[in-house]
Amino acid sequence: MRNLLHDMNPSVKFILITLSMLAIAFFFNPWTPFLFWVSIILLQLTMSRTKWKLWLLFMLPFSIGAFGYLWTTVVFGADTGGTVIWSFAGLDVTDEQWARALSLAFRVMAFSTLSLLFAFTTDPVKFILSLMQQLKLSPKLAYGVMVGYQFLPVMKDEFIQIQQAQRLRGAKMQKHSWQRLLSMRQVLIPMLAGAVRKAERSAFAMEARGFTGEPRSAFYRPIRIGRIDILMSGVFLVILFVSCAGGSWLS
Amino acid sequence: MPEEIFHLKNLSFQFPEDELKTLNGISLKVHRGERVVLTGPSGCGKSTLLYLLNRLYPLNCDGIVEGELSLFEKLADEYEAGEINHRIATVFQDPDSQFCMPTVEEELAFTLENLRVPLDEMEPRILEALQLTGLTKLRNTVIQSLSGGMKQRVATACALIMNPEVLLLDEPLSHLDPYTAEQFVTWLTALQQQSNLTIIAVEHRLELWKSFFEREIQLDLNGQLAADRQFTSKHAVSFPERQNAIQQTKALKVAQLSVVIKDKHLLAPLSFSVNRGEIVVIAGPNGSGKSTLMKSLCGIYKRTTGTVDSEGLGYVPQSPEYLFLTQQVEKEVAYSNASNQIQLDELMESLRLVEIKDAHPFSISHGQKRRVAIGAMLADKRPVLLMDEPTSGQDAAALLELFELIDQRSKEGTTFLIITHDMQFAASLADSVLLVKEGEMTGKFAAKEVWDNAELMEAHHLLSPKGVAPLAESFA
Amino acid sequence: MLKSWKLKEVVLMSLFAVVFGIVYLLFVHAANIWAAVIGPLAYEWMFGIWFIVSIICMYIIRKPGAAFMSETMAAAIEVLIGNAMGPRLILSGVIQGLGAEAAFALTGYKHFNILVLMLAGIGSAVFSFIYGYFISGYAALDPSFVALMFTIRVLSGAIIAGIGGKYIGDALLATGSLRGYAIARAKKGDVNA
Repeated sequence: MRNLLHDMNPSVKFILITLSMLAIAFFFNPWTPFLFWVSIILLQLTMSRTKWKLWLLFMLPFSIGAFGYLWTTVVFGADTGGTVIWSFAGLDVTDEQWARALSLAFRVMAFSTLSLLFAFTTDPVKFILSLMQQLKLSPKLAYGVMVGYQFLPVMKDEFIQIQQAQRLRGAKMQKHSWQRLLSMRQVLIPMLAGAVRKAERSAFAMEARGFTGEPRSAFYRPIRIGRIDILMSGVFLVILFVSCAGGSWLS
Repeated sequence: MPEEIFHLKNLSFQFPEDELKTLNGISLKVHRGERVVLTGPSGCGKSTLLYLLNRLYPLNCDGIVEGELSLFEKLADEYEAGEINHRIATVFQDPDSQFCMPTVEEELAFTLENLRVPLDEMEPRILEALQLTGLTKLRNTVIQSLSGGMKQRVATACALIMNPEVLLLDEPLSHLDPYTAEQFVTWLTALQQQSNLTIIAVEHRLELWKSFFEREIQLDLNGQLAADRQFTSKHAVSFPERQNAIQQTKALKVAQLSVVIKDKHLLAPLSFSVNRGEIVVIAGPNGSGKSTLMKSLCGIYKRTTGTVDSEGLGYVPQSPEYLFLTQQVEKEVAYSNASNQIQLDELMESLRLVEIKDAHPFSISHGQKRRVAIGAMLADKRPVLLMDEPTSGQDAAALLELFELIDQRSKEGTTFLIITHDMQFAASLADSVLLVKEGEMTGKFAAKEVWDNAELMEAHHLLSPKGVAPLAESFA
Repeated sequence: MLKSWKLKEVVLMSLFAVVFGIVYLLFVHAANIWAAVIGPLAYEWMFGIWFIVSIICMYIIRKPGAAFMSETMAAAIEVLIGNAMGPRLILSGVIQGLGAEAAFALTGYKHFNILVLMLAGIGSAVFSFIYGYFISGYAALDPSFVALMFTIRVLSGAIIAGIGGKYIGDALLATGSLRGYAIARAKKGDVNA
């Protein structure tokens, strides 16, 4: 049971999640995204091995974002009519407006939870392999992405080293975002120049081992679609249907 | 006569960006089982020739080929894309950019998938390749966590799993320290004896290969064939004798310096001092804290305890371009505004930067970049220079140039602390040696005391500087 | 379309995506905090950082598809490195990439001057805004507020992605490391720059 979400085919999971988001986006009542959000958390609680402390940490910025969304929609909401439920500093808030604001805030929460569900239960390498095997992504692109993934720790380290070296020369850490953006060039150029070199070397190494980018005939790690995927697709669709129908009925 | 593997008839090659040909009318044959080394000054087109043999060129650079190249007695152009790479395998020089998968096993499988090997044949071939290369225990290890030497071994395993007929090596030792490089050569020698591989290598550190090769093909700077002869073992680069230039004043005093980051003791309290003009080599095994020491000295890392008292500490990283902030050599040196124009002119002159003063700091050679970095540090009034691995990946000419630069500057009162694995280089240059191990300083020794102390050398994973030369002689 | 692509060009796009992925992470934390105070506006000005990859890659490689593929790969890499936004980035990456690609296609992949690059940044901004309008429900917001968001995003696309992309591409060209790519050959005068 606790393995179900982890054992799903990553492409199937990806498609289900994308479909759910597109469907939920059609609803502006607060209940649909709320029901969906709660269901997704329940799903992840029962069918995955999630480190919830870490999950909460990731969820924090999204919650802040959702709050930002809530009040912006209240203050800058489109004219909807409806009865005024409360006034604050000369601002009238109607019940319709409040419902919409809640809906958008819950939507942020629901989508974030859904994204985290994917991030916490999917092995990135398997995801790329699956995109290539199930969704027929070109191996040239798939392995291109894979190389980038392998270089991530190396390049993070490089980034820090360059910043350290430049600070020694007297390059100051800028206070404001826009100043930092402008001074980014100094770090970016050595990074990108290094990336050009690395890209050529890696590509040559791959081609020297017979990689042509043509579709492959056999995979060492076949990623399959199985009974779990049919079952889980059912679960997702039920959740989606209940949230949409239930939400509309409740409001 | 064994079968003909490569046959070049008057072969020339030109990059579309260039005015001149990189390779110029080369004719030669290589037969099965030969062990050939390609030599010549840097920039003479050795690697280009190698890339023509495994068909990475001309397609990858849209290069212009003239003349005729046959592989296995068939014209090179008649092969499908990738087809020839099933028979000719290559190991490249940079251990950090040869892989696209996380683990050793997956990387091997990637190669087999390229060859369209059926699934049920993959497992036995992976097992065989792992065994052949002694990597069985590392099957599920993440490649990026391995050392440079082990990565080169994995790259070789990936080459060998194809059961190739030819193995091309593009400076496979250049990023390895001599200790690891020697192990790699020993290992490859044993491997070659088991199979009848044809091997063609580009290499400048020939002393490490002892008597591995049997034939040497030399190119000159015009990309023409300069020599094609029987291989004779080479001596290591010999550096000139130097006189120390130590002055009486102290340039650097370190007392009770220690570094603790996130509860990890990276450096136990240590104290030492260095005189002006002194050249100190910092040595020790990988991960022993050499870089931490260097970075805490110049202030990149915060010191947890202790004091560092100096005339001004400068830092030259392994990649000098990390320091660069401007788009012109002259501006780069002048960046800090700490020196006046006369001082700057003097520096530019003595570091031979005048002729490249308008160039972009990224577009000059590695040796020039390092001179710019040193110039920038000295102009910023930092006469105690910390150099991180300046010898890594350098050929003989570059090492000699580096030697002379450091020797010259020390006479003018610059103090050097240098991290290097190259004991040949260290032995010829160092006045003293600071040994580090597991985050502790073993001590600061007069250089001569260290090289003869076998126990001390072994304990710090150092290869005796004298170890290489006599061996090469016995094979000559 | 991929047939005419060299592997080194594909890998280059991927590694550039990693570099900008790291840069993006530096700014997104700051924006997250601002988001509580000024709502979704906090993210608007940053969109240009997102679009810049596709513009730089097209500016360097100059092949049909460069903008679209680089942006999509950048999104995929974000997912791989555990960006909490996860799979929704892929779809938005595809759409943003199409926006930039459309601008280059309009000019027949012949011109890569500053105006075209800014147009590409605007293209990404417009496409991504239409998608955002739907998926984030901007319909619920006051039209003038939506217009403000749109303006900031378009400006960010034109300035950060368009002008910034050209600035970085040129600075990189000056280092001499782009030898062998279309941009280096164009400067020699055989293609319109």
